[in-house]
Order: sequence, then C-alpha cells, then structure tokens
Amino acid sequence: MADNFNLREELARCVKCGACMAVCPIYRQTGREELVARGKLALVERRQREKEEPAAGNLSAFYRQAIDHCLLCHACEDNCSKNVQITAIIKESRREITAARGLHPVKKALFGLLRGRFGGLRTLTRIGSWLQLLAWKRLPAGSGLRRRLPLPLIDDQTVIPAIPRRNLDDRLRRRPAAAAADRPAVFFYPGCTARYLTPELGVQTVAVLEKLGYRVVVPREWTCCGAVVEAAGDRQTAVELQQRNLRVLAAAADRGPATVVTVCATCGHTLKGYPLPAGCQVMDISEFLYAHRQPLEKLLAGKTLDRRLTYHDPCHLRRGQKITAEPRWLLRLLAGDNFVELRHPERCCGSGGSFGVTHKALSRQILGEKIADLRQSAAAVIASGCPGCLIQLNEGIQMEKLAVAAVHPVTLLAELLAAPPAGETAAAVPTSGEEKKTPAKSRRAEKTSHKRKKG
Amino acid sequence: MPVTEGLVVSLTRMKRILEIDEENLTVLVEPGVVTGELQEEVGKHGLLYPPDPASLAFSTLGGNVAENAGGPRAVKYGVTGQYVRGLEVVLPDGRIIRTGNKCVKSVSGYDLTHLFVGSEGTLGIITKILLRLVPAPEAVQTMLLGFADMEAAARAITAMIRRRLVPSTIEFLDRHSIDAIRDALPFTIVDDVRALLLVEVDGDAAQVRRDAEAIGKLLQDSVRLQMSATDAAERQAIWQARRALSPAIARLAPHKINEDIAVPVARIPAVLERFESISRQAGLPIVCFGHAGDGNIHVNVMLDKNDPRQAAAGKQAVREIFAAAIELGGTLSGEHGIGNTKSAYFSLEWDADTIAAMRLIKRAFDPHNILNPGKIFPPVS
Ligand SMILES: Cc1cc2nc3c(=O)[nH]c(=O)nc-3n(C[C@H](O)[C@H](O)[C@H](O)COP(=O)(O)OP(=O)(O)OC[C@H]3O[C@@H](n4cnc5c(N)ncnc54)[C@H](O)[C@@H]3O)c2cc1C
Ligand code: SF4
Ligand code: SF4
Repeated sequence: MADNFNLREELARCVKCGACMAVCPIYRQTGREELVARGKLALVERRQREKEEPAAGNLSAFYRQAIDHCLLCHACEDNCSKNVQITAIIKESRREITAARGLHPVKKALFGLLRGRFGGLRTLTRIGSWLQLLAWKRLPAGSGLRRRLPLPLIDDQTVIPAIPRRNLDDRLRRRPAAAAADRPAVFFYPGCTARYLTPELGVQTVAVLEKLGYRVVVPREWTCCGAVVEAAGDRQTAVELQQRNLRVLAAAADRGPATVVTVCATCGHTLKGYPLPAGCQVMDISEFLYAHRQPLEKLLAGKTLDRRLTYHDPCHLRRGQKITAEPRWLLRLLAGDNFVELRHPERCCGSGGSFGVTHKALSRQILGEKIADLRQSAAAVIASGCPGCLIQLNEGIQMEKLAVAAVHPVTLLAELLAAPPAGETAAAVPTSGEEKKTPAKSRRAEKTSHKRKKG
Repeated sequence: MPVTEGLVVSLTRMKRILEIDEENLTVLVEPGVVTGELQEEVGKHGLLYPPDPASLAFSTLGGNVAENAGGPRAVKYGVTGQYVRGLEVVLPDGRIIRTGNKCVKSVSGYDLTHLFVGSEGTLGIITKILLRLVPAPEAVQTMLLGFADMEAAARAITAMIRRRLVPSTIEFLDRHSIDAIRDALPFTIVDDVRALLLVEVDGDAAQVRRDAEAIGKLLQDSVRLQMSATDAAERQAIWQARRALSPAIARLAPHKINEDIAVPVARIPAVLERFESISRQAGLPIVCFGHAGDGNIHVNVMLDKNDPRQAAAGKQAVREIFAAAIELGGTLSGEHGIGNTKSAYFSLEWDADTIAAMRLIKRAFDPHNILNPGKIFPPVS
C-alpha cells in the first residue's frame, strides 16, 4: 500500500514525454489529454501547488473525473522510462478525494459489509443469490443473468454471474475429506470472486492441488484482499482488510514456511504487495503449476484440448506480477498447437474492478476491441487467470453472441485431468458456449465426479 | 509545456487520415495522427512513411513537423522535412494559410512550407499536413557489428558510404553503453568489443542480400563480432541491444542530462574523444550512443543532481559538450530542437545577425509573441 512513497518526488519524476499516451486504454478511446497518465499527473501536481495557497482549491469536478478515469491497468507505468509510480499516485489522489467527499453510497454500504466481522459478504451473497432470481432472468447458456428490473448502474446488457447459493466454504465443507494429514500443506487464497461468485473455480483449484499431492488449507478467516476498496480511495478499510489477512498469514507462517496460491490476478498482485511475514510466499497458480511441471505433465498423460484456445493477459498478472510465460506454458501444455495468441493479448479488457460498472460505456468500448481481437483469433476458448477479466470477457461474448467460452486456465486443467485418458475419447472439454450446461445439470455432474473420486 | 503559466492547445483529437493518394504517392493528414499509426496504415497499401523517431508510438505528425523529427532511417531516407509537401496553418491572428502542393517540382513564391518545418510551434498552428510517401522496401536485413574501438567503427561507416553502400540505419553504441547492456542481452558481447554498430539494409530481396554480403566482405578485417538477422524474431533480438539502452543507462546514476548534438559523420571519433576528456575533467561518466549514420549523438551525462558539486560539474560539462560539437562543425540539436532548455546556448551556434534574422521572421508572424513564448530565442537582456 505504497509506504515509503513520496508524492512530490514521484510527481517530479514525470518528464511529460508522453510515452504513456501510446498504451493507455482510456486515452486510446477518448483522446483526452487530461485522462492519460501525463495529464492526470499534471492535474495532481497543480492540486498539490494549490494546497499550499491559503484558500486551498476545492476538488473540482474536472479533477475528480480525471482521477476517476483510470483502470489501474499499469500499462502506462510499464511503458514509462522514468518508472513513475502512476497507479500509486492515482490511488493516493483517490484517497484524498474520498476523504474529502465520502464514498459513493453503494460502495460505502458494500465496504462496510466487508469490514463487518460476521462475514458480511457471505450473508450478502447468500441473500443476493435469492434476490437476483427475482431481478434477473437466466441466460440460455446459464452463464450469467441479465437484468429484469431496472437497477441503478446496471443496464439490460450487463451480464452478472449467477450468484450460487452455496459459496466455496459450503462447497468445501461438503467435500469428502480428501487428503491425509501427512501431506504437505498449501494455502489457497480464493479471493471474493472464487469464494462467492464462482466457487466452482475454487473447487477446481483445490482438486488440482490435491492431485499434485497437497493438503489444501483454505482458512475461513481470509477476507477480501482490499484491491477494490483501495481503488475506490477507502484506504482505511483496505488497511483493515490487509491486517486481517496478515494475521491469517502470520498464523500460517508460524508453523513453518507457507506457500499461498491465488487464482485471481488482482488478489495475487495485492497480496504480494503486503508486508508478508518471513517464510511466507504468495504464488499465482500458474507459477505454482510451473514449479510442478513434471508431475503435472505425467498427470495429464498426453491429454489435450481439441479446440482452438487463446489467452488474455490480466493486467495484474502481466504487469502487476510480471507473469507472462507461465500461463502460456500451461496453455500450450493443455492445447498444444491449438493455442494461438491474440493480436493484443496485453491490452486491458476494460474491467478495471468497478470501472466497468461506473463507466459502462467507456468500459464497453475498450472491451469491444478485445472482443474484435478474439473474433479475429477464431478461438473457441479464451483463458485468463483473473475472475474479473472473465466476467468482463463473458459480457463481451454475450453481447456479440460469439460461441466462445471464457474460462480460467485452472478450469481447463481440472476438466482435462478429469477427462478419460487420451485415445479413449477425444478429450472433449465441455467449455464452449453451445455446450455449456445449465446450472442444474452441472450440479449433477459435480456429484458424479465426486462419486468417481470416492470409488 | 508552457514555460510559465499558459494555455496548451492539444490537437491530438484531430487524428484523421484524410487521403492516401496512391498515384501521386502522398497522404493528407490532420496533425494529431500518431506517426506509428500512419506508418501502419500506409503500410497496408505497400507504402512507407520513412521518418522513424524513437517516439513514433506516441508522437504526432504535427509535433514531428514542428520539430523536424528524424530517426535511425535518416541516413538513407532523411528526416521529416524531406517528406512535407504542404501545410495548412492557422496564424496567430486567426488567418488560415495554405502552403505547398502535391507537385514534386514547385517553386512558386517563398517556400513557406519549410519555414514551418522545425519552427517548434512558434510561428503558427499546423492543422493539415501533406506528406510524401515511398514504396515500401521488400526486404530488410539487420546486422550487429562489433569493433575494437570507435575509431574503427567510424572508419567502417565512411568505408561503407564511400563504396556507395547506403544502409537504411547505422546506430552506434560506445563502450560505456555496451557495458551497461551486456548482461541484459540474449547473446554475449566479448570484452574486446568496445564499439557496436547496428546496421540495416533494405530494398528488394536480391539487392539486400548483395549489400549485406558486400558489407561483410568490406569490413571483414576490422569486425570482431558479426550477427545477422532477416526474420522478425532475430531482428527483434538485435534491436533489443539498442532498446535496452535507455533503461540500462538510467540505472547508472540517479539523474542524467541528455543532449542530442550532431556532427558531420566523419567527425564522430573526434567529438567522442572530446567527450571523454570532458568526462574526465568533470568527474562524471558520459555515455554516448545514437545515429552514427547521420552524426546525431545522444550524449548522457550521468550524475546525482542533489549533490551540488555534481550538479555544477554537469552544467559545465553540458556547455563544453555543446562547444565541442559546434567547433567540429556540428549543431546543438539533431532531433529535439531548442525549446527553452537549450535557448541559453543558441548564440554558441548562431551569430547575432542570424539570430536577428530569425527574430524578424518570428515578429512578422507572431507580433504579440503569443505562440510558444520563451522557446528557441534566448531572453533579450
Ligand atoms: C522518448 C522520446 C524519444 C524521442 N525520440 C526522438 C527521435 O528519435 N528523433 C527525434 O527527432 N525526436 C525524438 N523525440 C523528440 C521529438 O521531437 C518528439 O517526440 C516529436 O517530434 C514531437 O511530437 P509530439 O506529437 O510529441 O509533439 P509535442 O511534444 O506535443 O510538441 C512538440 C513541439 O511541436 C509543437 N507542435 C506540436 N504540434 C504542432 C502543430 N500542429 N502545429 C504547430 N506546432 C506544433 C509544440 O508546440 C511543441 O513546441 C523523442 C522524444 C521522446 C519523449
Ligand atoms: S511515460 Fe512516465 S514520464 Fe512520460 S509522461 Fe507518462 S508518466 Fe510522465
Ligand atoms: S493505469 Fe491504465 S487506465 Fe490508468 S492511466 Fe495508466 S494506462 Fe491509463
């Protein structure tokens, strides 16, 4: 959370060269100087000067707008030869704005729940999963919900993943105690999305880690990593959440070296930024799998995906954690020559945490370019190691009515591992749009797969 | 950027490519079109817009014309000015003028077009640009050549040009630059290589092969390292040497002052020698690299500006660097223009009467001094 960060010095490092203009997704769409890093930094600089004057300038709507228009995608930072910590400056400016003007009421209520001791999000998603049935109609593909009643911030194109009634904690509790206690332990940090919105991904991750011989520990005390909260300028809540997670990590590291695996690029990026206790390391699942490439290759026993597969680099994986090779290694392992690159795999999908909700039109424009690249790639499956990107990609796919599935690489891996051995049947992975199961069916499929494991 | 408080006019949303004329080989653009995007677009028609400043991914053609920008390809293809055929310009009083046309030969009246080229935004605001294009070359070959010292590298350049082998690019790295990047490269550069040339030849496939062979043969006695690349991935690896440079140099010291003087090609070894002794005197490392083909050298004085001694020594070194360049028949700036950081040195290069003539032009176009005040001209005392 950007300690030892001096705003003045950071601002002074920007030489106004404009290299950030080449890569900012928001600038590409709007062409507005005040929305590119260089422009935003100039505004922040001026704001700092103004503060020294007796009548400190108020935070103009123009200023707030500019600071608000950022996906925190790190593209500018990555391209900046001066290594200006642009996203840290934006977050700091948002903190100032939020401190002065308060949070949007919806965000305020939501973050309040996160802070609550009694699993606020758990309760919310549980109520939400019932309520949403009233408000949204299920999409035929069963991959999301579209609005039925008018709601603020959400229009009728918005695809919200169906909130499952059973969250990951419930699902794991019902799972047969799989692993013997003498196996080495690995900690799994599912993040809010894999915990509440797509618990299937969490279950799949646990299954894959178990197949690699681990005992998977998912402490119930984990809480939100705080990225979304900090992005909204609520530093205080972000710090509280960080401290809670750090307590879990400290307890884990107490018993010897602890490895924490994440499946969400943003969570992983945030966790890696914590002051981690000694002996504790955070790894994205792709890094972890790469470190286990030999056993994994053996487990796969030559099974490969028979569909054209492509990949979208999550911002917080590629630029946040500098991870580009491991996911590609994994996808090549899963799909062989069926793996193809997108034209611009590195470009942000436009999701940017809550940016997609608060700046819908702009977010869709950015998404539109990604979907055009996806169409051009002629892939049937697009993988990405970030649940946030997957929700966004799915929305674009639904809007354009493409027959493409957007899935986490772990999902592909888990399904392939569960498929019959190569040769018996072509490894048909049920991930394409047309073949997607209804939620009811997939629940049944899960049960049978559990049975298989038991037997 | 305004020198004091001012109004910035941004033309970045005037970014239409208005017409690609495949018969006259011209393109009409608005000033906000990004250089790299124009190149991509005309490339689809088998055409090339050659000027390639390192900033092409974000620089605009308006800025390129106003700064007369150029890049590595300048050796063979020249700089932006050589491609500007005509302009539409808004004068400070709001009148709109038109200069030039699509004709290759055009001598009616003053050449106002080239008065605006390199004017650094001080005479008028360019709102349309007519540019000349050339057919895109069929093939490119990239070579990395290592020499014992800069002297040998410079002799290699003049030898190539005397033999009428005109590469499309000749970039050089001095020994400090090589030291800075050595570890970051996918290949090894042996210790006795103290100067590198990155050479590209382009044209039709057969000619490219012939030229590359001829260069190899011509230099066989002096080169100590030779790498050659024709496909995109290999070329990428070689260019990595050049691209890794700026960030690698930035790691050598907290700050750098970089200047972009130019000298006639044959004077490169002499000027680099002068920079060595300036470096010794100042007690600050000076790293040089750049466009050997056109004599444009990026001179980086490495220092810690927070150390008052280094700050003073750095400032003195810069003045001496400029003086050395001018003495050897060169110029203060090959690419970046004068702006306000170099205006104090302007009179090192031009005598009072020449500067007065330039001021006359400025006053004629902009009597109230509203366009880029404080740029180019030293403040009148
Ligand atoms: C990282 C980096 C690398 C660079 N590499 C090179 C290089 O290899 N070669 C090279 O030659 N230069 C280089 N430059 C400098 C180069 O001159 C500029 O990058 C480029 O030409 C300016 O374009 P711009 O659109 O950024 O213009 P700006 O920076 O916006 O403007 C530059 C000047 O032109 C004026 N101007 C801009 N548009 C207009 C217009 N429409 N009408 C009138 N005046 C106008 C402005 O007032 C200003 O004085 C580099 C700069 C950077 C930051
Ligand atoms: S790339 Fe970095 S230094 Fe250049 S303008 Fe953008 S933020 Fe400033
Ligand atoms: S983080 Fe992304 S969206 Fe924000 S200014 Fe940088 S490039 Fe633009």
